[in-house]
Amino acid sequence: MNAPLSASHDGAPETAITPVPADQVKVDIQDLNFYYGAKHALHGVSVGFARNAVTALIGPSGCGKSTLLRTLNRMYALYPGQKASGKILLDGEDILGSSLDLPTLRSRVGMVFQKPTPFPMSIYDNVAFGMRLYEKLSKAETDARVEEALRRAALWDEVKDKIKESGLGLSGGQQQRLCVARAIAIKPEVLLLDEPASALDPISTARLEETIALLKTDYTIVIVTHNLGQAARCSDYTGLMYLGNLVEFGPTEQMFTNPVTQRARDYVTGRFG
Amino acid sequence: MKSARAAQRQFANALFSAGCYLVTFIALAFLAAILWSLLTQGLGGLDLAVFTRDTPAPGSAGGLRNAILGSLMMCVLGMAGALFIGVLAGTWLAEYAGDSKYGAVVRFLNDVLLSAPSILIGLFIYGILVAPFGGFSGYAGAAALALLAAPVITRATEDVLLLQPGALRESAVALGTPLWRTILSVLWRSAGGGILTGALLAFARITGETAPLLFTALNNQFFSLNMGKPTASLPAVIYQYALSAYDDWRRLAWAGALLIAITVLAVTIIARIVAREPRRS
Amino acid sequence: MTLTADASPGLKPARPKGAGFDPIFQALCFAAATALLAALGGVIITLAIGGWPAFQTMGLGFITSSEWNPVTDVYGAAGPLVGTIITAALALVISLPIAFGVAIFLVELCPTVLRRPIGTAVELLAGIPSIVYGMWGLFVFAPFFSKHVQVPLMMSAPAGSIWEKLVAGIPNGTGILAAAIILAIMILPFMAAMLRELLLTVPPQVRESAYGLGATRLEVVSSVTLPYVRRGAIGAVMLGLGRALGETMAVTFIIGNSHGFPKSIFDSGSTIASTIANEFTEATSVAHTSSLLALGLMLFIITFAVLGLARLLIGQSKH
Repeated sequence: MNAPLSASHDGAPETAITPVPADQVKVDIQDLNFYYGAKHALHGVSVGFARNAVTALIGPSGCGKSTLLRTLNRMYALYPGQKASGKILLDGEDILGSSLDLPTLRSRVGMVFQKPTPFPMSIYDNVAFGMRLYEKLSKAETDARVEEALRRAALWDEVKDKIKESGLGLSGGQQQRLCVARAIAIKPEVLLLDEPASALDPISTARLEETIALLKTDYTIVIVTHNLGQAARCSDYTGLMYLGNLVEFGPTEQMFTNPVTQRARDYVTGRFG
Repeated sequence: MKSARAAQRQFANALFSAGCYLVTFIALAFLAAILWSLLTQGLGGLDLAVFTRDTPAPGSAGGLRNAILGSLMMCVLGMAGALFIGVLAGTWLAEYAGDSKYGAVVRFLNDVLLSAPSILIGLFIYGILVAPFGGFSGYAGAAALALLAAPVITRATEDVLLLQPGALRESAVALGTPLWRTILSVLWRSAGGGILTGALLAFARITGETAPLLFTALNNQFFSLNMGKPTASLPAVIYQYALSAYDDWRRLAWAGALLIAITVLAVTIIARIVAREPRRS
Repeated sequence: MTLTADASPGLKPARPKGAGFDPIFQALCFAAATALLAALGGVIITLAIGGWPAFQTMGLGFITSSEWNPVTDVYGAAGPLVGTIITAALALVISLPIAFGVAIFLVELCPTVLRRPIGTAVELLAGIPSIVYGMWGLFVFAPFFSKHVQVPLMMSAPAGSIWEKLVAGIPNGTGILAAAIILAIMILPFMAAMLRELLLTVPPQVRESAYGLGATRLEVVSSVTLPYVRRGAIGAVMLGLGRALGETMAVTFIIGNSHGFPKSIFDSGSTIASTIANEFTEATSVAHTSSLLALGLMLFIITFAVLGLARLLIGQSKH
């Protein structure tokens, strides 16, 4: 799945993909194309995301990084006219295949959005919402699972005394961690984060990043971010996207200290994007 | 250094402003006059008997109990039907219709139905519920009121659902939630305030509706809980009594009109408060 | 790539509860939307079927004849038809400038402290049931109107002039003009509230840049603000007209309810809606009932055209 390395005029290659070792790949994307109606938004993306690691997707606005993320749980299926071709293998099973049941996929691939989206119900019910969809749990089991999810999202200590209050009453950063707790409460394998800190202040962002670091021992995390510092701090692998293509992919350290392509050099040094 | 032209422009402007002040004053004067008449004429007749006694024969004492009760029963039943149809139809328009042709047609015709003359709705219900099923009934009245309220609720539901952020919908779907549960537990709840406002405005509208009740529920001089029979309503009683030649009937009509106006104004004000309620986020 | 052992911690239940209900729920919503459509279709069909005998027996004469006589069982709709159009048109002429004035006052001139109370008052006025307007019109407005407007006008009209014919009538304060004025008062707050909403959609920058050029308030309103909302404003006015055309109770109280053409502005008359309200439950002959339903059909066609146009204009102005 190595993309061909083509040389540009000054010697640096146009694209450079350093693949994740095959035995560590959790999500394997093969020749993925995506269309918004007639608009071709992803051009033959091929890449593997590693298990129990954080992969960051960076790139300028409209480069397709969020689009790529939204193919991983087939969120686009909500909208007629949007379609994907190619293959996305989750543990070897093609999730783009028509036989796959969408709720099942989404129970395995969780997602947190750009803006916090607490449901209009109590903190407790927010977290229990997803669990109740899939499992019939006793009160005690539910309580335990809610607490566990909130602890893992590093929110428990702040909300344990007001767990029955509305989730809408929390601060922005707390709301976003509540959304993380809600997503992990159904025990997904992959967690997608779509610019989760873009609406947060620096302190809340730092707390969220700590949470992400704690979560990666159990989850395969893919995070889309505008913030290069955030990508450098939290991720193990980084992919740079540009105009619907994956331009460079590799270990985060390499991307930020010794990028291969000219595009990546320019981007991480702030010369474009 | 004013030129003649500048003076002319300013004069025209002053005239225009004065005109705006004047017409606003006239409009408010009408409001004040109507409210004043309602209060002075209606308060005199508004006593406890209005609520405890039924509509009297001319010359004897009585109240409006049966009419109030009939109005209440028909409005509540009508609202229940309208909420069922309206919320579901509005949900279809907002969540399922998309840009489809059929959706556009429903949306357009719902807007027409929204302001169609209520008397024609009454004729329609007469044609399908009264004439074929052996007579006037409270159920027919409730059906007519439901048909008047449903388009209002449909419109409000669609508008407020479309205002919900796409990410809220998506984050429920991202948990694997079936769309219907997403709508029920997340979107309707989040849009609850707006739907409630629409429902209250619809309620305010049907409370005072008279014309469609004339040939559906008709009227009933006596106390009755049976909605399968002709049913009294405040507006119908007001209409009958106001046009009568008896002073005590007219006094009751004014009391009833005041009662309806107070109800409508109160419900409208509550709707505005609900709409303004700041949502914490 | 093979499935690794640690991939799924515990077997995941395949489907969430109630996943199969989705198509049923969608069908339910669709059915509700279709029910609204069917209701509107039902209104047309009921009126068309019920009114058909009237058109059949009386032909075109049903529309052109003004003789409406339940005793001889002869029905011509011209009287109520003309009455409907005249009262609605007069009401619109009266309330249009006032509604615009109020809306412009609220958006451009009103002191901030008063903006909210007056705006609320206008909206509340729009919600008062029409039967209240009717009662007020008959018991309060009509005597006042008779004493201070109708009688002085009749007295001052020179004998034998057209003017005298125009103001002739029984001086009791009811009739065509009184009904039109009550209608005007009714649709005024409705239109004013809509126009105000529309004017508020004009971006402040647009108005400010006009003021910045030194334009007076009148010039800003007439050459910037109103043209900006033109389509929507026409739509709002048409909605007001639609309301006036179909209004029943307020008119029934005060128009005098006589058939035939009104001969002067103070003469009594009838509208389609008031005729139906007065006679429908008392109609015994087939021809009478059918004629009333045919009247309803005509009212429906007129209001449908007006309201449809209004909605199209308002819909376009949103984009």
